[in-house]
Amino acid sequence: MNDPLLAFESVRREFVTRRGRIHAVDDISLAIEQGEILCLVGESGSGKTTMARMAAGLLRPTSGVVRYAGRDLSAMTKAETKTYRRAVQIVHQDPYASLNPVHTIGETLRAPLLHHHLVRGRRQADDRAAELLSQVELTPPENFLTKHPHQLSGGQRQRVSIARALALNPRIIIADEAVSMVDVSIRVSLLNTMLRLRDELGVTFLFITHDLAVVKYFAWEGNVGVMYVGNLVEYGRTPQVIGTPLHPYTRALIAAIPEADPDMTQAKEKLQLRSIEIPNLLALPTGCVFHPRCPLFVPGLCDSVAPVFMDVGEGRDVACHVVARERGRIAMDDAAGCAGERATA
Amino acid sequence: MLRDRVTSPTKTSPAGERLEEGIVLAVQDLWVEYRTRAGMMQAVRGVTFDVRAGESIALIGESGSGKSTLGLALLGLLARTARVAQGAARFRTKDGDTLNLLALHNEQMRRFRWQECAMVFQSALNALNPVLRVADHFQDTARAHGQREDARTRARAAELLRMVQLDPDRVLPAFPHELSGGMRQRVSIALGLLLEPQLLILDEPTTALDILTQRMIIDVIRALRQRLQFTMLFISHDLSLAAELADRVATMYAGQIVEIGPVREVFYAPKHPYTVGLLDAVPPIAGDEFTPLTSIPGSPPNLLDIPPGCPFHPRCRYATEICARQAPPLERVAEDHYTACFHHDQVDRNRPFAGGTQ
Ligand SMILES: Nc1ncnc2c1ncn2[C@@H]1O[C@H](COP(=O)(O)OP(=O)(O)O)[C@@H](O)[C@H]1O
Ligand SMILES: Nc1ncnc2c1ncn2[C@@H]1O[C@H](COP(=O)(O)OP(=O)(O)O)[C@@H](O)[C@H]1O
Ligand SMILES: [Mg+2]
Ligand SMILES: [Mg+2]
Repeated sequence: MNDPLLAFESVRREFVTRRGRIHAVDDISLAIEQGEILCLVGESGSGKTTMARMAAGLLRPTSGVVRYAGRDLSAMTKAETKTYRRAVQIVHQDPYASLNPVHTIGETLRAPLLHHHLVRGRRQADDRAAELLSQVELTPPENFLTKHPHQLSGGQRQRVSIARALALNPRIIIADEAVSMVDVSIRVSLLNTMLRLRDELGVTFLFITHDLAVVKYFAWEGNVGVMYVGNLVEYGRTPQVIGTPLHPYTRALIAAIPEADPDMTQAKEKLQLRSIEIPNLLALPTGCVFHPRCPLFVPGLCDSVAPVFMDVGEGRDVACHVVARERGRIAMDDAAGCAGERATA
Repeated sequence: MLRDRVTSPTKTSPAGERLEEGIVLAVQDLWVEYRTRAGMMQAVRGVTFDVRAGESIALIGESGSGKSTLGLALLGLLARTARVAQGAARFRTKDGDTLNLLALHNEQMRRFRWQECAMVFQSALNALNPVLRVADHFQDTARAHGQREDARTRARAAELLRMVQLDPDRVLPAFPHELSGGMRQRVSIALGLLLEPQLLILDEPTTALDILTQRMIIDVIRALRQRLQFTMLFISHDLSLAAELADRVATMYAGQIVEIGPVREVFYAPKHPYTVGLLDAVPPIAGDEFTPLTSIPGSPPNLLDIPPGCPFHPRCRYATEICARQAPPLERVAEDHYTACFHHDQVDRNRPFAGGTQ
């Protein structure tokens, strides 16, 4: 079998701070196939950006391995690392902070092209910059090449960030909250543009957001991993995870989301958590990290042993004792049912 | 300067007159501008609306549409560079007197805040004093308004904190930075209600909070309103918050109210193309199908260079020649429902936007 394009294998990342040791990412395994979309979703502090930085090779795991096309990032030669850095591009949340205010859009796009010798001479650089702008629907490109970031709207600036990422013909784009600061009226068009780029250029996406409705829209044909304080608690195809969430945390998240529809949102069934406070990362709860808030909490089980991330079929994984138990019971009932049928036959 | 007047959707009479019972606040033709290096920027441009006693009204619109400026103007909290250029805002006090908010002197305004109207800001960290314990915030606010009985204040503070699902024993002795964002936001709400104001203004009360915390705040606000019956004006760019908490919704665009009406009217029969565009751009979480969405073409306007006529016309699929020339007045389109669009009778949410992308 081919290696996945990007893989996390039992990846952990700790940070040592003055106040103690933080487990930002705690033993996560995940893979993305070429051309696929993987969304990571979770509340702030769940470790999403840390995952993004490790995927981009900007941060080393404390333990575990990140692989690109089978190669361990930390075992790469200098030349391989250089190639990798080009193959993976990040689009950040705040296009204001990531674009140099004194450079024109043309300069911003030409620099990486010339630096990496992807074009020959200014003329070619200009042509390619214009082409990139068209790809992100900033047309006509001439109107944008000579502008500075402050002359553009937030949505347009984010399009420039995407164009700059595309300049190096990346195989993976990591979008870290890339649409979170963009106005609602233009957010969807950015998502539509990125979906089109995936179709046309075959770019693989690691897409990070705190908004499950955005996950549903962007990764409908992809996978989603739900993170909770450094742990992956649920993983699967997006329609399944959002349509029939299994982990109580995923269920709570989906139940909590207000809809832009008064009748629907007010009638929505809520899931009462036992506590709303997010645990302190310096002193994580024992057993399952979600147990202090979990409505399904089973004393003696959930607070003593951490649940394993278990394959529950249909390409889905869940880390929950209660779900595992139910599944086990169903499997046993099924087995008993089959045996019974056979006996009567 | 030539300004297009809008017809008033209010039943109230001009500035200076007493407000009738049932109306807490009447804003009339309010204009606010900021002095900037690039010139005068009009952030609020002729806003007229009433807030009715006991209701919850949402001001929705994207960032920069002037929502916060409007809220700040009502409480006399505008930045130094801002100026109310025109208009009136009258408030009916608990005693039935009518105050002209834009003409209050400092002492009157100080009393008005907290006792008649309190505001909860988006960033509760900035609103709370970092060197004061939560308990002192309650005591200082009470004392500043002449309440000397500290024990009573403490009891009331504890009661309010419990109403917002906080443990007073834990929260009262804490400094703001020791609390999470969601806890600070709830402290601000409790503090806002300390002097039993008639009107609570909340600016983006759930923005930047995690979803489970947002849900908590929504549920807390709903329960508080049921129990304490205050009037509420809240500001949000998040339409779903309005769907959760509003009785009436006003959509703002480029400093103007372009649509106002009962929440179910505005969501199920919107008559302004901008409201329709916003609603159509929100991805739903419910449903087991993928629905391609369209966004509104173009970008929100630069307030230093607002398009003439209807400010939305360059982005609007219904726009015709008149829209670029003349500003549409707010017109009644249904019971209690007003919209500022020449073509409102063609606007139908079930007809998808043909605008395409950006
Ligand atoms: N460089 C760092 N030093 C110390 N702590 C960090 C660092 N980067 C992230 N963290 C901590 O790791 C946790 C996860 O952070 P992050 O990956 O940014 O989460 P998310 O993107 O999901 O909000 C947080 O508690 C954060 O404070
Ligand atoms: N202190 C200020 N100085 C100058 N301009 C400001 C100031 N505050 C807000 N503005 C501008 O006024 C406009 C309206 O802003 P605001 O009322 O904050 O809108 P909203 O709350 O709807 O996002 C924006 O263009 C904003 O940049
Ligand atoms: Mg992050
Ligand atoms: Mg605001």
